[in-house]
Amino acid sequence: MKRFALLIAALGWAGANGALAQAPQGDAKAGAQKIQMCQGCHGIEGWRTAFPEVYHVPKIAGQHSTYFVNALKAYKSGERKHPSMRGIAASLSDKDMADLAAYYAEAK
Amino acid sequence: MNKLLASILAVAAAGAVQAADVAAGAAKAKEVCAACHQADGNSTDPNNPRLAGQHRDYIAKALRDYKSGERNNAIMGGFAKALSKQDIENLSAYFASQKSALAAKY
Repeated sequence: MKRFALLIAALGWAGANGALAQAPQGDAKAGAQKIQMCQGCHGIEGWRTAFPEVYHVPKIAGQHSTYFVNALKAYKSGERKHPSMRGIAASLSDKDMADLAAYYAEAK
Repeated sequence: MNKLLASILAVAAAGAVQAADVAAGAAKAKEVCAACHQADGNSTDPNNPRLAGQHRDYIAKALRDYKSGERNNAIMGGFAKALSKQDIENLSAYFASQKSALAAKY
């Protein structure tokens, strides 16, 4: 039973590593072509979200690309729940996310 | 009508910002956040977001969501649950005031 658990853990580990190895490389230039859907909220200084909870949309330029991709994936999977961000992230491929992350990580 | 007024007041009270103590936030940050986000919030680990210069109300919302479980992260959930409302206000004000690589205009 213990061996079986170890095997499962090993498979899971290998699977996770495989996914990492296949993660697409971000291309900042390609990302620059995809920012239209981000700019409406994240490109306007002082822009805020709407009722019922009002707060500034976060600054994303200069953020770490790994965190950036993880955040988009969490929106896409539903783990993070902001409705607009879920809708937008659902339309993004892994490559789109990597490109946007590269663009914004370099934008300062 | 009275009900509406009461609910508006309740929302206003819940959203009321307590006065933040930046120095207390700095001390708390050093104690709780620094290991992963650096003491000034300029995280050097790409897995962990830069907090320095982020909008104060966004940091506060993130912490409240981690505390409530609305945002589900094993590590941040643990830390946020240990924070009081006042800690959250203090930390948000502190990180928002730090020099940062983050920019709003892009």
